[in-house]
Amino acid sequence: MLIRNIIYYFKEAFASILRNGWMSFASIAVVAVTLFIFGSFFLLNTNVQYVTDDIKEQVEIIAYVQNDLTAAETEQLRLQLIQLDKVKEVKYVSKEEALERLREQLGDLVAGYEEEGRNPLDDSFEVRTTIPEDIPEVAAVIETLPGIRRVDYGTDVVKKLFNFIAAVKWVGLAFMIGLAFTAMFLIANTIKLTVNARAKEIMIMKWVGATEWFIRWPFVIEGIILGSLGSLLPALGLTYLYNEAVTWAQINLYFLPLVNPDIILAPLVKLLLLIGATIGGLGSLFSMRRFLKV
Amino acid sequence: MIEIQHVNMVYPNGVGALKDINLTIEQGEFVFIVGTSGAGKSTLIRLIGREFLPAGGRIRVFGRDITKLRRREVSMFRRNIGVVFQDFRLLDNRTVFENVAFAMQVVGAKPREVRRRVPEALEMVGLTGKAKLKPLELSGGEQQRVCLARAIINQPSLIIADEPTGNLDPKTSLGIMDLLKNINIRGTTILMATHDREIVDRMKQRVIMLENGRIVRDEQRGVYSQDAH
Ligand SMILES: Nc1ncnc2c1ncn2[C@@H]1O[C@H](COP(=O)(O)OP(=O)(O)OP(=O)(O)O)[C@@H](O)[C@H]1O
Ligand SMILES: [Mg+2]
Repeated sequence: MLIRNIIYYFKEAFASILRNGWMSFASIAVVAVTLFIFGSFFLLNTNVQYVTDDIKEQVEIIAYVQNDLTAAETEQLRLQLIQLDKVKEVKYVSKEEALERLREQLGDLVAGYEEEGRNPLDDSFEVRTTIPEDIPEVAAVIETLPGIRRVDYGTDVVKKLFNFIAAVKWVGLAFMIGLAFTAMFLIANTIKLTVNARAKEIMIMKWVGATEWFIRWPFVIEGIILGSLGSLLPALGLTYLYNEAVTWAQINLYFLPLVNPDIILAPLVKLLLLIGATIGGLGSLFSMRRFLKV
Repeated sequence: MIEIQHVNMVYPNGVGALKDINLTIEQGEFVFIVGTSGAGKSTLIRLIGREFLPAGGRIRVFGRDITKLRRREVSMFRRNIGVVFQDFRLLDNRTVFENVAFAMQVVGAKPREVRRRVPEALEMVGLTGKAKLKPLELSGGEQQRVCLARAIINQPSLIIADEPTGNLDPKTSLGIMDLLKNINIRGTTILMATHDREIVDRMKQRVIMLENGRIVRDEQRGVYSQDAH
């Protein structure tokens, strides 16, 4: 490809953007709005994922041991637990350790017990499963084992939480897919409008002897520029808003872990630019196809 | 240079515009195609420009059967001919200068060349002052001359022109004809459809007359109508 052709293509693309001012503006706006919504969902979904992973990490089964077991029997039980299906990790917590933990959490409230040698707690096992969703099932099995007095995993709360997380995920996914279709439809239509307006222009270029790629390149570059410009706005907007949101959450919702902006924003911006440029370039390529067959 | 054998043209709506056309045009000739409105002049010109394909027959230009060109070859073929369209076909959102320059950019001309030659061509057709205007800001005759400037800018060896003087006053018409004649003298083949009797009679060139889609007369150094003999 001749260098001067490349220069010509870019000049043409920019000239065309200016010439078709309103259409260019409309294309940029459509890309910007859809990518803004897309980006918001991306941030939301990533954070939901992050929070749920965090919560899931903390879910475990606490299996309390009957307090008349010998050390050997307890060890036996531990081996039994670790060999269960779907179990990832089993940790023995003696009642002394349990009391120690409690004291760390509650401080002086439990001070008296130790000195008086009274410990109302039981020895227990903390059991984690490979997949957090398996916890209710595994807990039911553990409950039937001899030597286990009681099993605790926040039964209802955990079940509801898992259902809720699953629902959020599916709804989010449905939204993303719906959005992708809407965006594609809107962008295809906008570009079709611009190309329709230029069907005559394309024909004339062919009559004068322009090859198809000579006609195509400026349009494709124009699409890429419009798409990239369209993605720039949501990229900047979301970067600003997300930073604000995280700062705000750190003060007002300190218990809620949000993904660090430094980690998530760079990929987001790259993703938006990539999608914008691709949609723009492919959009013009596809919507001008039928006009080229003159 | 142009060889047409048994060409028929039927438009998609069933109108038969040309019937059994046979015609040979040599390099360097200046040929008028005349006839009443609807006789088929434009159809013949457009067939030679490979705007559409004939219903039957063979059209050879530059020794190649242009009915058998592939899409890319059509582009290459059109670069080698200059076409003046009856309906101008200018790019409305580009200036006069840009319209003419486009034909040069298409063939990959250097920007320096474009800047040098486009004003020359505009001067030849008498549009020097109008370079920065858009086609819709021009009169019909001026648009026609832009189209002519675009047709000659790449110095093609064949120019086909559909009524290039159709919208011009007699004086401007004569200027355009002088221009075409000069180009012709330097070896360019020119094929021109017209119903401008005065011009045809004055130029004393080959005249091909169409009537209802048929060639009814073909004479060297001819005039517009037979009774003028
Ligand atoms: N696009 C078209 N579709 C259908 N019929 C057409 C089309 N163009 C021309 N015709 C018909 O073909 C015939 C020849 O038309 P053409 O345009 O070649 O005539 P012409 O000699 O150039 O006339 P004019 O001097 O008015 O330009 C006419 O009967 C016309 O109605
Ligand atoms: Mg005509």
